[in-house]
Amino acid sequence: MALKKSLTPTATPVDERRIPRDLAGLLTALNDPNPLVRRWSARDLIQYPTAAAALIEQLDHETDPSVNEVILTTLTHLGDDIAVSGLINCLRSENVWLRNQAIEALKQMPNAIAPLMERLLNDPESDVRIFAVNVLESLRHPHVEDWLIKVIASDAHINVCATAVDLLGEVGSSRACSALHELKARFPNEPFIQFATDLALKRIGTGCH
Amino acid sequence: MKRILVVDDAATVRRYHRSILEPAGYMIEEAVNGIEALEKVAYESFDLYLVDINMPKLDGYGLLRELRTRDMPQAPAIMVSTEAAGRDRLLAYQAGANLYIIKPVKPDYLLDCTAILLGRLSQYKSLTMIANYSLGILH
Repeated sequence: MALKKSLTPTATPVDERRIPRDLAGLLTALNDPNPLVRRWSARDLIQYPTAAAALIEQLDHETDPSVNEVILTTLTHLGDDIAVSGLINCLRSENVWLRNQAIEALKQMPNAIAPLMERLLNDPESDVRIFAVNVLESLRHPHVEDWLIKVIASDAHINVCATAVDLLGEVGSSRACSALHELKARFPNEPFIQFATDLALKRIGTGCH
Repeated sequence: MKRILVVDDAATVRRYHRSILEPAGYMIEEAVNGIEALEKVAYESFDLYLVDINMPKLDGYGLLRELRTRDMPQAPAIMVSTEAAGRDRLLAYQAGANLYIIKPVKPDYLLDCTAILLGRLSQYKSLTMIANYSLGILH
């Protein structure tokens, strides 16, 4: 038996993009009650370099995850100071999903985030420092190992060090050896630190004894 | 043999938990995020979930919320977090966690928590242990 095609009308992108696509029209659409309209607006704002501030503001109160996802993609593409600073602010959000998405977005912006990394790694909140280390995870930047070594050498918070040593186990070289040994000595009664540093030292191998 | 699904995006943490639990006679499976965990749960059953909160793609809260809505035997879950804030603890329990513990986890503590949730300890021993941890006698 032949399958019948569904006759249910589906919304076309045109419906949600009826509002003019100039900057003013798109900013209006960003506040539309219909999430599809907001999503298309966030997507189309990618062509307006000055849209970052409005998108950041929208992130603060946007409740639809699919709109948030597009906003983050657009911000990653815009990549200016406002976009980066807005994404960094998301690291302080209580919304775990938003925080994780911001981390993933920041990983894609090595040149924009690099000048701010020192400040992030010295943030008074340990959670923000942990998320900063998370950003380093797949950040393609030549200073990643240096930043991680500095964290395990100087950060007083065990979970910040634990996150950094976990990553050093993957990206570290023999340059990290002495900092890893010092970390072990600094937390002699913390089994996870002992385990993770031993693992990192073993992986780095030659020259780490 | 009791089966435990360890869900954490950090490979070192998964290996650490495995190194503690496997010698104690538990069978360990690993998943790197909530999505991978759900894929495993679709085909295998577990006696306990050990779940990190901050993970890409699907975080620990999302994973537990999804698991708790499924029509299947419900295994207990331990949520592990770097965050000591009260709001995270509350969110964890609201999502369906049975226990919320803070990283870095001490081996004996993890083994005790696991044994309690899997009913391997008598009620008396469980309560004594919980009281001792609460009072800071054990860490």
